[in-house]
Amino acid sequence: MGPQHPSTHGVLRLMVKLDGETVTWCEPDIGYLHRCFEKLSEFKTYPQVIPFTDRTDYLAALLNEQAFVEATEKLFGDAIVVPERALYIRVLVAELQRIASHLMALGSNALDLGAVTPFLYCWRDREKMYSLFERITGGRLLYNYFRIGGLRNDLPEGIIGTPNDGEDKADKTIWGFINYFDSYVWPQWDALVTGNRIFQWRTQGVGVLTPENAVAYSTSGAVIRGSGIKWDLRKNLPYSIYDRFEFDIPVGKNGDCFDRWWVRQEEMRQSSRIVKQALAWLSENPGEVMGKVPRVLKPPKGEVYHRIEGARGEVSCYVISDGSPNPYKVKWRSPAFTHLQVVPHLTPGHKIADVIAILGSIDIVLGEVDR
Amino acid sequence: MDFLNEKFPDAQFSNLVNGDMEVLVPKERYEEVIRACYDAGFKYCSVLSAIDWKDRLTLVASLSRINPEEVGTKSIHVKVDLPRQGARIWSISNLYPGANWHERETYDMYGIRFDGHPNHRRILLPDNWQGGHPLLKDFVDKRPKRPRLVRHRYAE
Repeated sequence: MGPQHPSTHGVLRLMVKLDGETVTWCEPDIGYLHRCFEKLSEFKTYPQVIPFTDRTDYLAALLNEQAFVEATEKLFGDAIVVPERALYIRVLVAELQRIASHLMALGSNALDLGAVTPFLYCWRDREKMYSLFERITGGRLLYNYFRIGGLRNDLPEGIIGTPNDGEDKADKTIWGFINYFDSYVWPQWDALVTGNRIFQWRTQGVGVLTPENAVAYSTSGAVIRGSGIKWDLRKNLPYSIYDRFEFDIPVGKNGDCFDRWWVRQEEMRQSSRIVKQALAWLSENPGEVMGKVPRVLKPPKGEVYHRIEGARGEVSCYVISDGSPNPYKVKWRSPAFTHLQVVPHLTPGHKIADVIAILGSIDIVLGEVDR
Repeated sequence: MDFLNEKFPDAQFSNLVNGDMEVLVPKERYEEVIRACYDAGFKYCSVLSAIDWKDRLTLVASLSRINPEEVGTKSIHVKVDLPRQGARIWSISNLYPGANWHERETYDMYGIRFDGHPNHRRILLPDNWQGGHPLLKDFVDKRPKRPRLVRHRYAE
């Protein structure tokens, strides 16, 4: 299955050995999108690295920015204080981004399995979110919004809206979108795809990952939770201000493709809960969004390993500073890279059409695999 | 994480900013330390990478414990100093299958060889890449430079 295969995501080549239609051996061949992100960032200053992190996982760009920015702030220690409001806005946009990314994941997963309509619905709803992101950050896909010490700008006026905003304001206010999402988008996905008998036949019992193997293969995010392990870094390793929010962690039972799908779908609803709590705080507490930072950012010598829960799993970065304005080393641990090594383990014994279901269910983004 | 202190009194311990623990071990004891961590429940290899300090390489393996009830979980970074030329080390990917591709990437980028690795090949760069290991600090790109585009001059 070559890089041009239309049903794979991005440019991934899977070498597959078949016995009839049954897969006996499979190995991914990656590197087609390698852009030397880690080498490049050694020659750039810390703020200049932030746009690169957008381009690793381009479907959840804000979460990547969060990983790098928070890691750098940790290097500074107490020297940089991020204002409260900036922290809340970070959580707000990160969770909105998680919903957008999961919508894309679900839509493309369904498309791979032959259901075209959910994909079109996913684009319709994502379009509304992107109009919101465009007003907040100025960009639609790649934002460069987070700054070391805060954010580039505050939320624009009127974007929060009121809790009564209905469907007609879905692309104008965040409250409007969240109400639209809760009342319309989520139930529609539930009825259209998750409850669909054909979809269930295609995904249940396919690509079963046991909890032991989920840990051994270093999976995270929806893949490890689909296998029944309640592991979410927002709860287990609270970063930023996630310990102030109330939300649940959905877990699957069987670890098959359907459970991973279900976990993603459920997670979107939890994200919308977090967004509502953040909105309630933000509409009452105006203030600064940028802390006091020196003009030239030179973190003290040291190294830091910061892990956050990205849309696909554990995004973490290892930043080493030698006291100069450029990072000495940036190591980007991307979830999709780590998840893709599960594919050779999951596919043998399945039909070739199930390989597509498995690939869709672990939700890879090739920009992040190859960096 | 006291189990490491008791078993390996000669290793160097230090704490990172976020409370993670760092262990610098000699190369010969790397396998022992990793196995001790594995037996103590650290069965999740978050990342494996290397650092080029210009006079030596340092291999870092970050291990953590997956316990859904634990809040504020800490990880152990096991570090080994290796020479810059011809570094070889025991591969952990038979114990941690999730480290398989991280070890391949480390070989690709830093040239560290892993003994006992099940599929020891380059991963991100092409298999026939001859240009060296790009993340080493003294890496020089030897590929021929692309000709620069000549700016078109409009007729006056």
